[in-house]
Amino acid sequence: MEDLGLLKQLVITIFGYQLTFNIETILMTWLVLGILIFFGFMTARSRRIIPGPLQAVGELLITQLYDLTDDALDKELGQKYAPMICALFMFLLLSNWFGIVPVFEEPTKDLNTPLSLGIMGFVIAHYAGLRAKGLKTYLGNYFQPIFFMAPLNLIGELAKIVSISFRLFGNIMGGAIIILVVSHLTYSVLLPPFLNAFFGLFVGTIQAFVFTMLTVVYISVQVK
Amino acid sequence: MAVEGVHIVQAAGFLGAGLAMGLGAIGPGIGEGMAAAKACEAISKNPKEAGLLTRTMLVGQAVSESTGIYSLVIALLLLFVV
Repeated sequence: MEDLGLLKQLVITIFGYQLTFNIETILMTWLVLGILIFFGFMTARSRRIIPGPLQAVGELLITQLYDLTDDALDKELGQKYAPMICALFMFLLLSNWFGIVPVFEEPTKDLNTPLSLGIMGFVIAHYAGLRAKGLKTYLGNYFQPIFFMAPLNLIGELAKIVSISFRLFGNIMGGAIIILVVSHLTYSVLLPPFLNAFFGLFVGTIQAFVFTMLTVVYISVQVK
Repeated sequence: MAVEGVHIVQAAGFLGAGLAMGLGAIGPGIGEGMAAAKACEAISKNPKEAGLLTRTMLVGQAVSESTGIYSLVIALLLLFVV
């Protein structure tokens, strides 16, 4: 119960500045990345017309995500942004599923990971809008109904980052806290596995999907 | 044990966390239920589009859930930071 609000941090002082590293988050992120790279390497190692089991899984995942991106964006832009969307979805999915392994922690349980991913999606969406519409139309969109609505539009755009990242963080963190508290209350092996399955697998999958979907939607709103 | 100001502040923090979570969960609950009901109606009218409708429903529910998540974050702040 004591480790509820605790973060394992490494503080290094260089030239009077304090650098703080969240050790656990960094390690788990690297582990997720390593597993994903290994998975990608294994699926694409021996490509055949009749796919093996691993290649079939990879093809299924990629085809679904490409279809989803093509639906939301146009065909041309969809092909351009689909690899990023696939990488984002797979990273988030594996990150959210990581908590069901006993020693591991979800990288998304730390606010820094969802926030950086949200800012990444925000920047990519605005870059796509700038490329698609040109500078004049892009800037004109901020003054859309009347000119003094510009601050409100700006705040509305910035609030997207907060909402998308806090949603993922709150879901994963809340699930982890509920699992921890209930495990300490009951001392049984019966209830915590179900909670792990619900919050880790079900909510994790849905939140990873929602994060990816919302990033696609932000890009498509900016492009059109 | 004498009751000091720190204890009162902490008690108020816990009370506030409970109130924030309980009141903040009403809105998303109602909203998500409404979204699910409409999606059920739409699927029963048009079963072929079930995949698209489910996807749209999930995204809409997750967006309407964000106010509940904000209250959760506020409750966590009140519990662990104050």
